Amino acid sequence: MFHPVDPIQEIFRRREKPLSRRAALRAAGCGFGFLGLASLLADAATASTSPGGPLAPKKPHFPATAKRVIFLFMHGGPSAVDTFDPKPRLTLDHGKPLPFKRPLAFADGDAGPLMKSPWAFKPGGQSGIPVSDLFPHVRECVDDLCVVRSLVGEGVDHGAALLQTFTGSSTFVRPSMGSWALYGLGTENQDLPGYITIKPTLSHGGAKNYSSAFLPGAFQATPIGHSGLKVADIEKEPIEFLMNKKMGPDEQRFELDMLQNINRKHSEMRQYDPNLEARIQAFELAFRMQSQAPEVFKVENESEATKKLYGLDDPKTADFGWQCLLARRLAEKDVRFVQCTHSYKWDQHGQLFNKHTENALEVDKPIAGLLKDLKARGMLKDTLVIWAGEFGRTPVSQGGDGRDHNPYGYTIWMAGGGVKPGFIYGATDELGYHAVEDRMHIHDFHATVLHLMGMDHERLTYNYSGRDFRLTDVAGVVAKGIIA
Amino acid sequence: MLLRSIGFTVILAASCCAQTALQIEFFEKSVRPVIVERCQMCHNAKMKQAGLDLSSAQGFVNGGASGPLVDKQSPDKSKLLKLISYDETLKMPPTGKLKDEVLANLAAWVKMGAPWPGAENLVAAGAAATPAPSKSGVRTGGKNFSKDEKEYWAFQPVKKPALPTVKNAAWASSDVDRFLLAKLEAKGIQPAAAASKLTLLRRVTFDLTGLPPSLEEIDAYLSDAAPNAYEKVVDKLLASPRYGERWGRHWLDVARYADSTGNDEDHRYPYAYRYRDYVIDSFNNDLPYNQFVKEQIAGDLMPSPDGKSTNTRGVVATGFLALGAKAIAQQDKMKMLYDVYDEQVDTVSRGILGITLACARCHDHKFDPLLTKDYYSMVNYFANTRSFKDSETHVSKLLFTPLVSKEENEKYQAYQSKIRDKAMLVEDIVDAEDSTYAKKQLELLPRYMMAARRVYEGKEAIAKVAEETQLKENIISSFVRFLKPAPGSVTPHLDEWHNAPVEQLEEVAKGYQTRLAKSMTDWQRTLTRWRNQYRKMSKEMNMPPPDKPKLDEQKDAFMKDAFGGRGPFVVRSGDRKSIYAKESLEKIEVLNNELAELKKGAPTEPELACAVDEAMPKPVDQTILIRGDYNSHGELAPKNVPTLLGGAKMEPYTGQGSGRLHLANWLASDENPLTARVMVNRVWYWTFGEGLVRTPDNFGKMGERPTHPELLDYLTADFVKNGWSVKKLQKTILLSSAYRMSSEITPAAFKADPENKMWSRFGRRRLEVEEMRDGLLKLDNKLDYTMGGTMQKGFGTDGENSNGRLSINPEKETRRTVYLPLRRANLPSLLNLFDFGDATTISGKRNITNIAPQALFMMNSTFVADRAGSIAKELVDDKTLSASNRMERAYLRVLNRKPGANEVDSALSYIDSYKSKYAQADDQKAWQSLCHILLSSNEFIFVD
Repeated sequence: MFHPVDPIQEIFRRREKPLSRRAALRAAGCGFGFLGLASLLADAATASTSPGGPLAPKKPHFPATAKRVIFLFMHGGPSAVDTFDPKPRLTLDHGKPLPFKRPLAFADGDAGPLMKSPWAFKPGGQSGIPVSDLFPHVRECVDDLCVVRSLVGEGVDHGAALLQTFTGSSTFVRPSMGSWALYGLGTENQDLPGYITIKPTLSHGGAKNYSSAFLPGAFQATPIGHSGLKVADIEKEPIEFLMNKKMGPDEQRFELDMLQNINRKHSEMRQYDPNLEARIQAFELAFRMQSQAPEVFKVENESEATKKLYGLDDPKTADFGWQCLLARRLAEKDVRFVQCTHSYKWDQHGQLFNKHTENALEVDKPIAGLLKDLKARGMLKDTLVIWAGEFGRTPVSQGGDGRDHNPYGYTIWMAGGGVKPGFIYGATDELGYHAVEDRMHIHDFHATVLHLMGMDHERLTYNYSGRDFRLTDVAGVVAKGIIA
Repeated sequence: MLLRSIGFTVILAASCCAQTALQIEFFEKSVRPVIVERCQMCHNAKMKQAGLDLSSAQGFVNGGASGPLVDKQSPDKSKLLKLISYDETLKMPPTGKLKDEVLANLAAWVKMGAPWPGAENLVAAGAAATPAPSKSGVRTGGKNFSKDEKEYWAFQPVKKPALPTVKNAAWASSDVDRFLLAKLEAKGIQPAAAASKLTLLRRVTFDLTGLPPSLEEIDAYLSDAAPNAYEKVVDKLLASPRYGERWGRHWLDVARYADSTGNDEDHRYPYAYRYRDYVIDSFNNDLPYNQFVKEQIAGDLMPSPDGKSTNTRGVVATGFLALGAKAIAQQDKMKMLYDVYDEQVDTVSRGILGITLACARCHDHKFDPLLTKDYYSMVNYFANTRSFKDSETHVSKLLFTPLVSKEENEKYQAYQSKIRDKAMLVEDIVDAEDSTYAKKQLELLPRYMMAARRVYEGKEAIAKVAEETQLKENIISSFVRFLKPAPGSVTPHLDEWHNAPVEQLEEVAKGYQTRLAKSMTDWQRTLTRWRNQYRKMSKEMNMPPPDKPKLDEQKDAFMKDAFGGRGPFVVRSGDRKSIYAKESLEKIEVLNNELAELKKGAPTEPELACAVDEAMPKPVDQTILIRGDYNSHGELAPKNVPTLLGGAKMEPYTGQGSGRLHLANWLASDENPLTARVMVNRVWYWTFGEGLVRTPDNFGKMGERPTHPELLDYLTADFVKNGWSVKKLQKTILLSSAYRMSSEITPAAFKADPENKMWSRFGRRRLEVEEMRDGLLKLDNKLDYTMGGTMQKGFGTDGENSNGRLSINPEKETRRTVYLPLRRANLPSLLNLFDFGDATTISGKRNITNIAPQALFMMNSTFVADRAGSIAKELVDDKTLSASNRMERAYLRVLNRKPGANEVDSALSYIDSYKSKYAQADDQKAWQSLCHILLSSNEFIFVD
């Protein structure tokens, strides 16, 4: 069992024992209320405790190789056989019927014939890992990628597949991966939320994909806008309630000082209630957050060269480029878990060629920009970048020019954060339908990500309704083979 | 037992074929290494995944939970071979398929009779020593329940205990107090002093109505010197309609209420609000709790109180079962259905009984005496209850139940059927005309194909080709669209055309023509069949007539191209005038006019509810599903309640229909110890902020034990005796001295009982999000007290990235929070921020956090600023008030108490310095800041 510090107990401890020097200084900095606290400081100030409540940083189970995660989510399900998993046999057998019974698919009706990829594959980098012409920029970074060609999920519809990708369960509402990470590790930067999702999707489970479910609300993701909004609109107020539109900081501090004065007098008359102190601290934290956080969203302050690297200069790549660049800025500030979403574009039941071309164009350069930038800043070594959809697509055609959903064997890739660079893990069958070698179920994927973050997925548990829950339910095997 | 004997037979069979040295060698060389490397990491003596241990001969002999691995009679059918073939749902090993030669070796080994050195000696002794789990993974009957399980406190009948004696009888104003005080005295803890009058008024008003007291209520209470002044307040609050809105909301947490399906497509439940209103009404009218429970499980099967043929209230009440989260786009429809039943079992068992029966879906409950069989026995009621109008469609159709008599509904449906029949007459003509047109096009097909080829292959201009061939330009371009080879597509049906040598093209085109002619004839037959079926089903009441069939690309992809979308054989409605025969056009017009008339006279659609019903096409004989897999059937699980809780003594339900009333009667019976105990504990929790059992949804072993079991039973016995009246129970609790204690904590009390498990003081609590929002709205007189009805518009769902998927923003509305519709997938961020929960699983206890983003809301939201602004305006506009009167009014209104003199001074000096520093002497602005402070203060958000 793994018990992160209970915020309430933490404050109790602080009340029972002397306050730390830092906390005392902070309290003094509040102006009012210091005298009220003074009595608490009567004992010698020696112990060092971490404020920050439930989000205070916690030690991992073992040393982590990934301090933080950037998850690039390709909503809709990009096709593996058209991107990172070339299948010569598919080209040979183009137009022939599928030689085995098709597993449960999303579309009604029988399977269409096998359909070759319309894109050529070329080896990239030193490793020679093949990448299709959809991703020429990512191909330049392929020596940093660990391409997992054997992911397996259970949902053939988007809703189930998204939920499972993010929470482990395709059926029930469970805490999301980022919430577990935050619960287990806390966050290093108390001035920013520890788990941020940029332009999350509203559909296919919506907020359930980044919710904390039964974990306390402090572990849910903070959304930055949503998939239906334009960047320009989001930039006005990236985090809800982060900015006060009517008051300057001095004026607000003045008001806050009075509030804290009243609050402290209130709590002095009410002993032994850690919640009162917790809320006083929450206001201080909030005030710091609103003065520190807006800076990180000022993507426009980046150099022209950087903006160009991410494709911000091109309307086609500007949206996802902004997401990736913001993700890097957040990662730089030690935000524990960041998600970017290329929302619901990759679902090509038809028009695969046109639409996949368009989609890849929108993300290819920004992703490569992110990888290059992280590397140049020395951040890639302890930042785990994940690229994944909720499933892949079938090697058989749907409607002549599309592909159906395929959760039975698809490709994701990871980079940095302690995974083997320039490495291919797992394999699908000759046609790219089922994973057959080193199958990595989504539970295994989750177990592996937690492992890279320094956590044992079997020990990261939370007791809810009489049962210890974990991200990986009762399954999950760490894919040791991808760890550098 | 069954399996043990099967396993036994298998092993005996093995033992009679002696293992040869050669076989053993083969095993050691080609089989064991694979087992060690690929199986034992999970199937070992320690982990025993799926009950299987492959690290020893003994383990292999025992087999796994789903039976023996090897079938000696027909080796080809062995479970082992199926699992490793990767052809079934369960694929082993999960890390990747074994190589072909390995598969062949294992198959050969199985054929030999699966020789395993040492196994033959283990047969008799081994199988007896370690019995394999029974096939269904369940214990049989009630025989194996241990004494401890049978005597577990929560399952024992409720016995009203004697009142304990206490020393300080003066303090114990009620029986409740005597139970609490007895323990406090035993521990030497003093109960806290009584709370002040205003503290108590604020507490009880928030607790019962979710709102702060108004200035008038404060005045009235302060000026009432009668000894029963407080009791009068309690009575008044219990009678207020606001009470049902607050306490109904508590129950809605248990019922995991929301207004959409959540999970994937998040379709609206357009009539969910009727269930919500039913819950609010039930609390306001103090509907006996046992009846409340019964109606929610089987209200549709109970006689209507008004004697009508349809019990509309009862139907609405079953929304409890109907409104769970559902993955309606799930393609594995069986899995979807069993997930829905699971969700229903979970809500009923945890919500009403406080037991976690859903934990027994795949195996017997690990901690409580609940069997897998018990689980499927309860599933059986729901598997025979209809939760969908049609679960088999691509996106399953939700069920909406009419709230009128059967006759009235039939009248409505019959009229709808008339409308459909008329519309079908139009469809007949359209189809006939379309078919005539298509036949003409068919004759021209080879010419069009050749012409199109000249355009896309020969790069000739369309206009020129059209002129030369005397063919229509738009149709040529339509042919070009689907005949031209495109990158990224697979069109094997056009291969023949694309690959034909030029001189054979015409011949090939004629071949296409012949095939298409045949497909068209087939298609007409399909349509005729559909028409007949449609007309027949249109007259039947319960099932919707089938949708028009769609062209199947699998059957004839060429035809799908030609007839689909913008294909050349399609008559677009705008072109009908120039293509259809004149008399057909006239007939269509006449029919359309008649149709419009007919629609005008249609009876209004009956009101609908999101509820369940009994109209299952055929009964389901529910079996135990082994390991939760709906393809693996164990023995039958007759409809019954959990064995140890009463099922052992009850006859299973074998009559017609779902039998939900059988379940409901048991749940609601006076003898059921759990239903009443669990509710009494919930009421205690919703009053004191903690339950007597602190895990209100789990009374099982993994839950907590009651701190005061006697008190719990005492209240429960009274509750049942008083006709399950929640209000009476509440009044008993609210009039106790315990409820009226101060929330102050003395060092001694804290030391002796930090978690207040003895109730030596009242537990201070943070407002829930509804109380905070509604309270703020009430403080500036903006709260809209309209009750009931729906604010949700529309049906189905919205575009993937559409704002329509969001819930209504509570900051922009003024109705009470309980009336704001909840889209499950995207709950309002305000609710997420303040620990509302996820509205998807039962939540008998909310988390309470105090985190920075909540502070940001108080500091920066327009919602809070607006409230502060308008309270300030009222204060400033009242010129009769002196500054200190004004300050007193502000405190009284927001914090429900008068400020001390020094507080007034300090606040007024704040106003002065604020005015000079930031407000350019503007009174309003300065007072707004002060009100903002009071609204954001701990004192406002915590209830003492």
